[in-house]
Amino acid sequence: MIAIIGLVVGIVLGLVLTPDVPLAMEPYLPIAVVAALDAVFGAFRAFLDGIFDDKVFVVSFISNVLIAAVIVFLGDKLGVGAQLSTGVVVVLGIRIFSNVAAIRRHLFHA
Amino acid sequence: MGEMTDSPPERSSKRLPPQATMGLLDYLTTHALDEDYAFVSRRKEMAAKATAAKTRPTRGSGAIGAFVLAIFAVLVVTAALQTSRNSVSSEQERRELASQVSAARAQLEDERALLRQLRAEAAALEEQQLRSDASAQGLLDSINLLGAKAGTLPVRGPGVRLVADNAPGSATAQSEVLDSDLQKLVNGLWAAGAEAIALNGQRLTTLSTIRLAGGAITVNARSLRRPYVVTAIGNEDTLPARFAESSGGQAWLDLQREVGLRLSISPVSSLRLPGTEVSLRYANQEESGGTP
Repeated sequence: MIAIIGLVVGIVLGLVLTPDVPLAMEPYLPIAVVAALDAVFGAFRAFLDGIFDDKVFVVSFISNVLIAAVIVFLGDKLGVGAQLSTGVVVVLGIRIFSNVAAIRRHLFHA
Repeated sequence: MGEMTDSPPERSSKRLPPQATMGLLDYLTTHALDEDYAFVSRRKEMAAKATAAKTRPTRGSGAIGAFVLAIFAVLVVTAALQTSRNSVSSEQERRELASQVSAARAQLEDERALLRQLRAEAAALEEQQLRSDASAQGLLDSINLLGAKAGTLPVRGPGVRLVADNAPGSATAQSEVLDSDLQKLVNGLWAAGAEAIALNGQRLTTLSTIRLAGGAITVNARSLRRPYVVTAIGNEDTLPARFAESSGGQAWLDLQREVGLRLSISPVSSLRLPGTEVSLRYANQEESGGTP
């Protein structure tokens, strides 16, 4: 319950404040969002599995976001930014899909 | 996170870690969940077994998770807003540029019209001025003659109209009329005795060029569209035959036969060719001269 409240508060905050992303960080925001999405779905699945842990969630969230951004940043510096972001999106996307599949099994027993 | 660094203790002894033995995709799908959750829960269980008395509730208030979720929501909303804002601003930019272009074009057209009007006015005034003076009548005549020769004044007379066009039903660059083809055409007409030539209404003067610019053939800095209509004043009876004999005419005969370009020639009893502007910025008239 409190998690949903946090989510709503975040959405409202984002809409009200509309924080300006620094231009240098702008290319890394979408990939960070995808990484965060992976962490959130993983946490939800862990919650349904009954093994959710606050600390793990926080650490996985932050490290996911940072690593994804750093990978893309490195890729940009090496000239393979687009390819590396594709790779990150593919890996995270597969993880998200299989996590969602597990969540679906939990919720609908199917 | 953490898959690479710490492996749970019971696995580390004998077998290789799964990420080394599995294919990447298999590993990804089977280990979609961070192993740390399982690891931590197992550790907690062990800890709970060890100190069976003090069993804390496994989950806290969830405030931290909620906080992270709030951060996540802010991230998502920010990214979405940023993307939509960017697309809106680029669309706006595009529209603004387009409107600027059309405004500039309209202004250019206005100024051209003004220029035409002023030039006509100046010519009328000049004529009026010179006509009032009987001795200047000769001067006026010579000015008009020079203008007709140079291409700055419209001229009238018999001649031919040539229509050149791309080969029918093909869109390759090879079968299009090129600037060099038109140059040959015009050169052939000059050689055939044409006295004044206009290309799609653009009078050819001493400063005119026929060149390819930006994918369109450009004459007097105006882009032309096909079909290219060449009007030439000269002897309407001999002009077509002499053109066909000229090297330009021969070249066009080849073009018609080999490439399939179309060219039609028709004599016209009365043609009117417009004048155009010839502005000299560096070339000055010699002082003593002035003989036409």
